[in-house]
Amino acid sequence: MAAHLPYEYIYLRYKKKFPHVWCPGCGIGIVMGSIIRAVDTMNWDMNDILLVSGIGCTSRMPVYLDFNTLHTTHGRALAFGTGAKLANPALKVIAVMGDGDALAIGGNHLIHSARRNIEITTIIVNNNNYGMTGGQFSPTTPPGTFTATTPYGMMEPGFDICSLAQGAGAVYVARGTVYHVMELDKLIAGALEKPGFSVVEVLAPCPTNFGRANRLGDAVKMMESLRDGTITQVQAEKLPPEERVGKTVRGVFLDREDSEGYTARYARLCEQAAGGVSGK
Amino acid sequence: MSDKPEAGRNAKQEKAQFPEPETTSVHIFPEWCKGCGICVAFCPKQVLEMGKDQKAHVAHPEKCIRCYLCARRCPDFAVSVYGHTRKAEEKRNEGTDGEK
Repeated sequence: MAAHLPYEYIYLRYKKKFPHVWCPGCGIGIVMGSIIRAVDTMNWDMNDILLVSGIGCTSRMPVYLDFNTLHTTHGRALAFGTGAKLANPALKVIAVMGDGDALAIGGNHLIHSARRNIEITTIIVNNNNYGMTGGQFSPTTPPGTFTATTPYGMMEPGFDICSLAQGAGAVYVARGTVYHVMELDKLIAGALEKPGFSVVEVLAPCPTNFGRANRLGDAVKMMESLRDGTITQVQAEKLPPEERVGKTVRGVFLDREDSEGYTARYARLCEQAAGGVSGK
Repeated sequence: MSDKPEAGRNAKQEKAQFPEPETTSVHIFPEWCKGCGICVAFCPKQVLEMGKDQKAHVAHPEKCIRCYLCARRCPDFAVSVYGHTRKAEEKRNEGTDGEK
């Protein structure tokens, strides 16, 4: 059996848990493959990696990956991840969250983890709705689109995850899509390398709920719209502003070195306190 | 022809020294395939086809150029291309099978 599987199966719990529960054409499986290849390039031991998740479609990922895994309450992946990282700073913590998990229920955890600059690699899979519960609108649903709870069209503007993370103080912010999968491998590998809070937003199709409610076609059509609807930063600079409307820019938006990680600061504080030196 | 290696490396000549295997280089694992059609649609050489059982099938293995786009875009880990990378081959040969 194993001889016919792609080499990523080494990182999977392939004997017990496969095939996975995600719908045909769901992009989360592609993101999972990308994470595996990015971790593979880092040459880390699988026992040194902690994968945390909350609740949702994306948060099923720890069930399938053979790292140390923690499947926690809704939106609290970063809170549990922060605790684990402080308890054992040698762990490499990766948090995988969906858009609703990261921005609605866990929105506060996201911005405050970015403010603290805790060393967690956060991967947010954005499929524009709550897929697991039947396609309700989420904070990233584009205005005017239809979901189970917006039958007359979404009336609120959506979050821009990358701008939010940049404003909150993350050190590495990038956006990729599951269509541009080779690029996504590099973006996630870049995020894993950063000693600080890094965010990668991944645009993924949800053909079962969001695609069906908006008549976007099957998984292939939605992948094609990801190809045609996104541009690189270089293309965005060349395009006149009127042609840029409706296109999503992908690539690395922020990659800075000037901020120290939280566990490094915490270790220094512990040393100071143990030595009896007051901070005053 | 002399046996001396040439000064400049030629990718075409190096490739000719290692001919591609005649066996199928793409493999679909049918138990995991859910028939989304992504691999069929985005294959640049039309190697794959959808079968009547709503699963992908390797129709023209001889056309494969090993771009690995089908394997990387498969959400279900059901497509594998032989000769993936050297590192992957080493890992495959380490014999992790049976441990998990």
